This record gives sequence, structure tokens and C-alpha cells, in this order.
Amino acid sequence: MGTSMFQLPDELILTALTQTFLCREPQIRALGTLLYPGAAPCRNLVIHGTEATGKSAITAALLARLAAQTDDDEVGVRYAIVNSVECITSRHLYETVVGKVAGALEWEAAPPRCETVSQLTVELCKMLKYTPRPDGFRFVLVLDAIDRQRDAPHTLLPALARLSEIIPSLTTVFVVTAPSPNFLRTSFVPHVHFPTYTKPEFVSILSTSPPASLPNTSREETTDLWARFTAAIHDSLARAASRTLPTFRHACTALWPRFTAPIHAGTHTAREFSKLLIAARVHFQDETLLDPGVLVAITNPAPNPTISTTTTTTTTIQKPNPGADLASLLPTIPRLLLLAAYLASHNAARHDLVLFSTHHHGRRRRGGRGLSVGGARGAGPGRSKHRKIARKLLGAHAFVLERMLAIFAAVRGEWDPRGRGDDHGGEGDADIGMAIATLASLRLLVKVGGGVGGDVMDCGGKWRVNVGWEVIRGLGRSVGVEVEEWLIE
Amino acid sequence: MAEVESSTAAFEEDDHRVAYIFNAGQSPSQSQLQVVQTAATAATARPAKRRKVAKTTTIDAPKQQQAVVSGPAFPPLFNGAERPDAVQLRQDLFATAWPVLEARVQHVLRDANRTTLDEVAAFLQQAAAAETGKLTAGFIITGPNIASQDLLFEQLAERLGTADQATFVRLRASEAPNLKATWLKMIRDAMAKEGGEDGRKYLDYDLEALRVFLAQQQQRPPRVVVAFQDSEALDSGLLTDLMTLFHSWHDRIRFDVLFGIATSVELFQARLLKSTARQLYGAQFDVVQADSVLERVIKSAVAGTQAALRIGPSLLRSLVERQRDQVAGIQVFVSSLKYAYMCHFYANPLSVLLAGDGRLDSGLVQPEHFEAVRTLDSFKAQAEAAVEARQLNHAQSLIEDDQYLVGLILEQEQKRREYQTQLLRSLHILAAAGLSPSSFVELYMVALASGIDLSQASGTVPAEDAVRRLNPDEFLSLIDRVLKAIHAGSPELGLDAWESDADEFVAALADTRDEVEGLMARAKRNRTSLKSRYSAQSRVLRTTVVSQKVQLSRDTATLTAEDTAFTAAVDTLTALLAQNLHCDPVGRLFLHEAWVYDAKSPYRDVFVPRPAATVARALSRPHDYLACACCSQAAGGGLAATLPPTAILYQLYREAGALVNVADLWSAYYALVGGDDDESDVGLGERAALVCFYRALAELRLMGFVKQSKRKADHVAKLKWL
Ligand SMILES: Nc1ncnc2c1ncn2[C@@H]1O[C@H](COP(=O)(O)OP(=O)(O)OP(=O)(O)O)[C@@H](O)[C@H]1O
Ligand SMILES: [Mg+2]
Repeated sequence: MGTSMFQLPDELILTALTQTFLCREPQIRALGTLLYPGAAPCRNLVIHGTEATGKSAITAALLARLAAQTDDDEVGVRYAIVNSVECITSRHLYETVVGKVAGALEWEAAPPRCETVSQLTVELCKMLKYTPRPDGFRFVLVLDAIDRQRDAPHTLLPALARLSEIIPSLTTVFVVTAPSPNFLRTSFVPHVHFPTYTKPEFVSILSTSPPASLPNTSREETTDLWARFTAAIHDSLARAASRTLPTFRHACTALWPRFTAPIHAGTHTAREFSKLLIAARVHFQDETLLDPGVLVAITNPAPNPTISTTTTTTTTIQKPNPGADLASLLPTIPRLLLLAAYLASHNAARHDLVLFSTHHHGRRRRGGRGLSVGGARGAGPGRSKHRKIARKLLGAHAFVLERMLAIFAAVRGEWDPRGRGDDHGGEGDADIGMAIATLASLRLLVKVGGGVGGDVMDCGGKWRVNVGWEVIRGLGRSVGVEVEEWLIE
Repeated sequence: MAEVESSTAAFEEDDHRVAYIFNAGQSPSQSQLQVVQTAATAATARPAKRRKVAKTTTIDAPKQQQAVVSGPAFPPLFNGAERPDAVQLRQDLFATAWPVLEARVQHVLRDANRTTLDEVAAFLQQAAAAETGKLTAGFIITGPNIASQDLLFEQLAERLGTADQATFVRLRASEAPNLKATWLKMIRDAMAKEGGEDGRKYLDYDLEALRVFLAQQQQRPPRVVVAFQDSEALDSGLLTDLMTLFHSWHDRIRFDVLFGIATSVELFQARLLKSTARQLYGAQFDVVQADSVLERVIKSAVAGTQAALRIGPSLLRSLVERQRDQVAGIQVFVSSLKYAYMCHFYANPLSVLLAGDGRLDSGLVQPEHFEAVRTLDSFKAQAEAAVEARQLNHAQSLIEDDQYLVGLILEQEQKRREYQTQLLRSLHILAAAGLSPSSFVELYMVALASGIDLSQASGTVPAEDAVRRLNPDEFLSLIDRVLKAIHAGSPELGLDAWESDADEFVAALADTRDEVEGLMARAKRNRTSLKSRYSAQSRVLRTTVVSQKVQLSRDTATLTAEDTAFTAAVDTLTALLAQNLHCDPVGRLFLHEAWVYDAKSPYRDVFVPRPAATVARALSRPHDYLACACCSQAAGGGLAATLPPTAILYQLYREAGALVNVADLWSAYYALVGGDDDESDVGLGERAALVCFYRALAELRLMGFVKQSKRKADHVAKLKWL
């Protein structure tokens, strides 16, 4: 066929794509030109842009169509997309590349092992270079999120960029978030940038997928309301909470039912936008709607987002008091141990004698009461001089296990009414050890520094409590202890 | 006789007391363990044969088991004088008693998980249908006991594997230290070593291989359920990676994840990135509370009629308390039970006495049994009671006449059954009627320890007031509940319905009910409300502030005839209950030692060892263990030069501060053991003392008492504070 020197891909493809992916026309056209064999195919190509700007989706869609168009043409395009995130090691990446390329070329022989980039080059050469291909044939290899490849050697990217120099018919596309200059160590690499969407772009993208019509409202009115609604959402939330398209879309769809509830109820019409907005203002501030957590939010507007779908006997999850939750789960001794660990982490060792000594038994001097509270509130007139931060607001300090056990032994009699006078339950017994091991496996107590790693039996290392003040306070109350009284600034 | 012969050949009195001596010098090529008898009998026995037995027991474990089957594995007691058939009977008793219970316990445990299983399966199905495009995640709140989750996850695997055709993979945090290892394990488990795949060879950790494999299995869509049993122990970064990858593979393999969560979903979520959390479609499931599982297990395996051995109240209490206070899962409880059974039948020769089913005949009972019985507390109590009651003949026969005692012993089995039935029936009614605020387990323990007595003032289960306070409606429903309890029995406890045994009680209850119903009807006609003296009185007492007396008498005056009749009915019911719900403490029964096991210390020694305390005690009072003559004056715990050096250093160590100067320690030590001038024959020379000192210090370090201090040269830091 007498083809001209320069020919763009079929216009139909491009327009169809620009309609599915609004506001990306320049990028789509650029990609089309740079990937299409008839136009200006390049060797390496960098596509970059922040999260969820359509890089992967658009590249995949474009290549699929190009390949379909050129299937019966002699100017063939074949392609393979490899998602580096899914590759656990760089070797995994090489083998996946070879596998995918072989798949795309319908190569019969089973691809052999491939441990290094040079082996990868050999394999690719076998398939692409030394096998005769029709004129104008191009193979596009897309390495998606290649900058996030796990344990990649630092030569990986430059090496991959060399592939297309060795194999003329290969185009390697690197999809990355933010390329550093010259990161491929080769010149003349075209870059296509996918910028983040602006507010009008967000609104227009979302308006392609308006929700179903509302009752007593025409199709246009709904679409119109949707557009104004998304713009309002963008103004109030996008800066802070939903900067990317998927999160923005999620926020809009999550808030839409609340927003339109008055229309369903018949109290407002779709024209009264500002009234609707005011009525829904509460929901706009409700964070649980936007961030429902890992538990399923039920779609019916019962204001209880954390309930599980099944009729379980869940009573504890309503409004979570983290401490109470833990308290109901942990048996008594681990609870006390955890409290002792907290005290060991948050009291300085020099105060131990004052706090825990049993010399003045009846009314022991607990320095805590009020002191730490004053520190936390920072309101005490005399005390604010030093402007010290309450110790409990600071991070937990490490302590040696023996100190915690000593604290535990000291406070146990006072905290656990049954523990006193009872002969069993000595300090060093296996149950205590098991409790500590359990707390450690639950990561409520963590081993830090020093002899971490090797010896689990070694009690020489240091430990740290890994739960926060709120939890501990709840936990303390569950055994009838005000932890505040046991803390010294 | 042949049987006896063979059994004595293989097992002797002291066979269970063996010491293993590592004897490398004897045969240098293959060091072997040799069993050495501690008892002198070993020397007289046939040594050649013994050697053979010893070898098979140590080297070939399966064979050893076969050998055991032939004769009784239990050693004869009474210093070896116990008759073989008695030994055999004890063993048989154990072998029949325990499996029954174990099966029941397993049933209870599996049953307890059933609702959770149903919910999880339903949720996974619903999520699959919902097409959320998210990763389905089930959070199973299991509580901190990791061991007890095993059964749950096993059941989940069975359930989801068969019903939903999903591939189920269980992972523990220790098996998943990083992504690669996790994938490796997952793929291996899912493909279950299905080797010979043709064509392409994949990397071990390539999920593509799994996809191809599942596609070959015609799973459509390929579905894998991955369960993380101890999600807290998983590394947070890994967790996020895993979720992201599962999600990214979602279009090719449908991954569902299940997490066993010991703390709470909130804490779990706090460890995830927000963006990862958004990819999850989760639901929370609670397993049945540990308390209620425990109660069910106790009902069916400890209290129920099936239990051949009664666990005594104090042991049971400490077991139950351990469940509540410590991280000891229900499995620990079950094994403690088993251990109690083992101890009882293994070590108590009297355990045969109540064999029942005619398995115990007087031929089996031997003189040693009588001797043992006569040392029992319950025997002494019985004899003393007989003397007290002036039944001197009875007392004398008890002590002197063996045949008389046999008769009594044979009677006891029946008595035991009666006691047990009475106890359980009373408890069942009490629990069904809801007369006591305590749980069944608590009631059971109280009943065993101190009996059941409903009287308000002195009783162990004061319930009379509760009955008296009832209003007529509650009164009727109480009677109904009691009748229903009698009518239905309790399958959990193994109680059949016992109307026929208790017809008087049932009839009396029914009469009272009819009467009160009649009274109520009459009161309704009179438009008054029926009340009893007790309830009326209490109302007045509550409202009066001044001059109670006057109002009280006025109130009693206003009781109508119906009210008086109702009061009488309440009294009748109270009396009926008090009379029928009654039992003695188990310790008061004659010969209860044969079927009640209440020793706490063997259990504690085995299940709650105290290594630190033991070591500390051994070091502070070595004489108690060594029993040497030289240290007897230090038996009280003081210091003496003849004590082992480590013990001396330990004493000095305990008196020292947090940092111990080694030079000071040495001089203190040498001052004690060294004898330079005056008693040079007793004391050690400096060099010898130094050797001992270093060795002792090294031992202390090995046992974790001291370590080299980094802060100060020539000092060691104290590591043990208590
Ligand atoms: N212009 C657009 N019109 C419609 N949908 C879009 C547009 N841009 C992005 N999307 C959608 O946003 C989602 C995220 O896009 P995609 O995965 O391609 O982002 P990405 O740039 O590859 O992000 P990342 O860097 O995180 O990999 C996809 O579902 C895609 O369909
Ligand atoms: Mg992408």
C-alpha cells in the first residue's frame, strides 16, 4: 500500500478515547503519535503524572485499540503491559516481561528462566530481533509503575532503556510518578505529562456519569444539580480529603444520597440548590461518610456506618471506646501487665521508689494526682513556667523487662483484690511469661533495640509499650484503676 | 497366669522411674541412650531382655506403643503389690472414661463456632454477589488466645473448601515474614504440590502460576480465601503490601481475606494506610464469648452425668480462675481436665473401687485396698460419726471387718449415683428457675464445696428471699419453669426427664400453681391486686421514713383473705424448693476420694511451672536439695562457707545494689570461704577460691542474673530485680 511517510492513527480511535477520558485529549494524541508505527514511533517513552491521573488506564486503552486497528494492517502493533507493583523481585519482573511478550507474540516455546537483564535482552532479541517481522512492525512494552519495583538494582531503569537501542522494533514505555531528570541515562526521551485535574475538569469528568434521575425531576435537572453538587463538593472537600479522581468520585457518590434526601422526601425541589446545601451541611462535615473504615457501610441511610452486615451479636463496635474493647478481650493478668508496662514506659525510673514502695502502706504518696493533669492542660498558673509537655503525651520510653515485672509485682496486690493473699500466681511463673508473650505477639508490647531478632528467651533487651493513653485509661478503668494517679511528671 | 507373666516381664514397679544417661564413651561410633533402672530390682531382673526392651522404647516409638497394648501400661501401685487385674481395670476405666468426654468437648467446641462459620460464609457469598470491586475482608474477633483459633480456622477451611469450592489458605505471621515467603507458602498450599504442569515453568512465588493452575481446575472465577490467623503479629508494611497486591490481582483471581483479630478492628485499621483501608469491603464477626464456651464445656464434660470423675471444687475453681485471669485458652482447660483424669487413674489405687457396672467384685479388692481406705479422711469421719451416734458395732466392723467394708464399698457406687443425680437435678432447677444470680459454673462449684441449702440466713445459695419477693405472675412463671425443667431434663448435663421420680414434688407444685391461679382470678373479680405479706411489707418499708411500726401493722391489717392465701402458697413453695433442692458437700460423702479428684499442686506443677522461683529457691536454700551434712547449720537460709559457690554468690548478689563491683564481690566471697591463717585446713587457698568464684559468676551470668555493665568498668549489672 502506498503509504505516506507520516500517517497518524485512525482519527476514530482517538476521538472515541478522548470521549471516554475527558480532558486528556493532548496526552492521548501525543501518545497516539509516539506509539503508532506509521507516525513518529519512538524508542523510549516516559509517561509521568501523579496518582490516578489516568496514566495506566489511558495507555492500556489506547494500545488495545491501536493493536486492534493494525491487526489486519501490515503495520502491526503488538504490546505487553507489565505492572511492576505485582512483581515481587526484579527477577520476577524479567520473567513476567518475557512471559507477557511471548504471550503477545503467540510464541510457542516455553520461555526459559531469566535471571538478569542480559538474559532478558537475549530472550527479547530472540523473539523480536532475530525473528523476521513485517515492515513497520512495532512492539510496545509498557512498564507500569516501574519506579515502584521492589528491590530493583539501581541500574534497572538505564538497562531497560537500552533494550530499545538493541532491538529497533521495540518501544519501551516507562510509566512513573515523577521522573528525575535523566533517570534513564539516555538522551532524547520524549516525556508525556499527565497533570492533575483542575476543578472544572473534575466536574466535567464526573458529569459524564450522572446518577439516576431523581423523583419529580427531569433528566436535565438531575444532571445540572449533579454538576453543581460536584462543584460544591470540590470546593469544600477536594483540597483536604479527596484530591484524586477516584476519591473525589467516591465522596460525591457517598454524599449524594444524603444531599438528595429532601428531594426524595419531597420537601425541596431540585431547583433549590442552596437550601439543599444548607440542609446537607451536617453531612458535609461528617468524616465517617468519606472514610467509612474497613467495615462495610450499609447503603440505607441508617446513621450507623460501622455496623456489620450480618446479624452478629455485635454490641461492642457501636461507638468504639478502644480501651473498653481491649479490656473485654484481655484477661486480668495481661491487663495489669500492660498497665505496668505503660507505667514503666511513662514514669522516669527515679520516681519508682516514691510511687511503688510499700513503706507507708496505707496512704502511699502518689505524686500523680493533679500534677500530670495540670501539665496536660497547661493551665496551672504556677506550673506553666517551664512549659513542659506532659510525659504521657510524649512517646513511650523503653524499659527493661525486670522493671516492668517489679512494678507489676508492686501494684498487683493493690489493683487486683483477688491477687492478694492468694498463694498461687507467683511472679516468675509460666502464666506471666505467657501473658507477656501474648502481649508481644499482639504488638501491644514491643521489643526495641539491642538484642532484637535472635533470642526470644533473652530478657536482657528493652521493651516499650505500644498503646496510647486513651486505651490505657480505658483499660485502667476496667480494673478500677485511675492510671493518672500513678504517673509522675 | 501367662498374661501376668508377660506383663511383669515388660513392666515392673519402677519402670516408670527411669533415668536416661548419656553414655558416649561406651560406643563411640553411635552414642546411645541407655535406660538404667533406679530401683535395685533391676539388678536381679534378666538384664539381656531388659536391654532389648530399653532399646525399643527409646529408639522405636511406634513399636513401643504396640508393646504397651499387650499388657497394662499403668504400673501396679501399693509398692507393686497391686493385682494385675486391678491395674488393668484402672487403665480400662481411664481408657473408657476420657474419650467419651473428649468427644463431647470437641462437639461443644465445634458447635460453638457454628454461627460464626455460617455468618462468615454468608458474608463471603453476599460480597461476591455484590461486585463491589473491593477486596472482601472478614474480621473475626477471636480474643487473645491464639491457640484456640486453630479449630475455628480448621473448620473454616473445611466449610469454605467444600461448600463454596474456594481454595483456602491459612497463614500464620511466622510463615509470612515478607512478601516472597508469603506468596511462596500461599501458592504451595493452594496448589497442594500438584507437580507435573506442562509448558511454562513459573517462579515459585509467581501468582501467575496459581492463576493458571486454578484456571485448569475449571474454577470460574478462580477464588482463593486467605486467612491470617494472627493478624496482629503481621508486619504493618507487609500487611499494606499484601492488601494492595490482592486488590491489584483482583481481576484475575478473586482473593478474599479473613483476619483473626485478637484486639479490635480499630487497632487493626489504625495500622493500615487510609488508601489501603478504602480498598477493603469488610465485616466483623465475633466468636462465641470464651466464658460461654467454658460454661458449656463445664456443663457437658465436668458437671454432666457422663463425667466418670468429679473434678473437686477447689481444683475446678482454680482452673476456672485461670481461664479468666490468664491467657489460657479453652484447650488448656481441656488438657488440664485430661491431666486430672490421668493422675487420678494412674496414681490412685482406690479409683477402681467405684468401677460400677459390676466390674468391681470382691475378688478384686485386696488387703492393701482396705488399708488404704482406712486411712481416708472420709473413712475417719464416718467412723467417728458412728461412734458419736453410738453405733459402736458399726464402727467396730468398719475398722476391723474387711468383709463388712467390702459390702459398704460395693454400696457406695449406688450412693454416688444418687448423689450425683440429686446434685445435678437441683442445680438444673436452680439454674432454670433463675433463683440465683450466679452462673451455673459458680453454683456447681459452691454446691460441690459446701452443698446446696436455700435458706436465707445460713444457706449456701440463699434464694428464699428471691421467692418471697415474687409477685403472682412471676410466681406462676417460676413454677412453670421448674416444671418444665423437670419435664425436659437437660441433654447438656445428660439428665433425662425425671417426672416419674419426683411425682410428689411435681404434684405439689401443680397444686400450688392451681391454687394461685384461682386466687388471682378471685382477686381480679374483686378488683384488687394479689400480694403476699412479704411483698407488701417490703413496699411499706421502702416508703416509710418515720415511725415504721405504725405503718407496718396497718399494712398487715389490710391483707385480704386472698393475700393471706397467696402468702401461704409462697411459703409452701419456699418450703418445697428448700426440701427438694438440697444436697451435701461432696467432701462429706463416704469414700468420695475414690471418685473426686481435687489436688491442685500436680496440675500447677505441670501447667504453670515457675522456673525462676524454683531456681531462686534452689540457690537460696541448696541444703534442701543436697541434704549434705556439711551445710546443715545453714539450712535456715544463712551463709556458710560450705555452700556451693554459686549459692554464696547468689546470697551476696541479693544484698548488692543495681551495679555490683566484682572486686568487692570477690573480697566478700573470699572473706567467707578463704582461710588464710587460722583455719587453714577448712578454707580454700586463694587460687582455688578464685576458680570457684569465676565459675560461680559465670553460672550466674548463664542463668541470667548478671551481665557485664557497659556503664562502669569492673562492674556487673544486676538483671533480676525480684
Ligand atoms: N479523564 C478521565 N476520565 C475518566 N476516568 C478517568 C480519567 N482519568 C482517570 N480516570 C479513572 O481514574 C482511575 C485511575 O486511573 P489510573 O489507574 O489510570 O491512574 P494512574 O495514573 O495509573 O495512577 P497510579 O499512578 O496510581 O497508577 C481509573 O479508574 C481511570 O479510569
Ligand atoms: Mg497506574
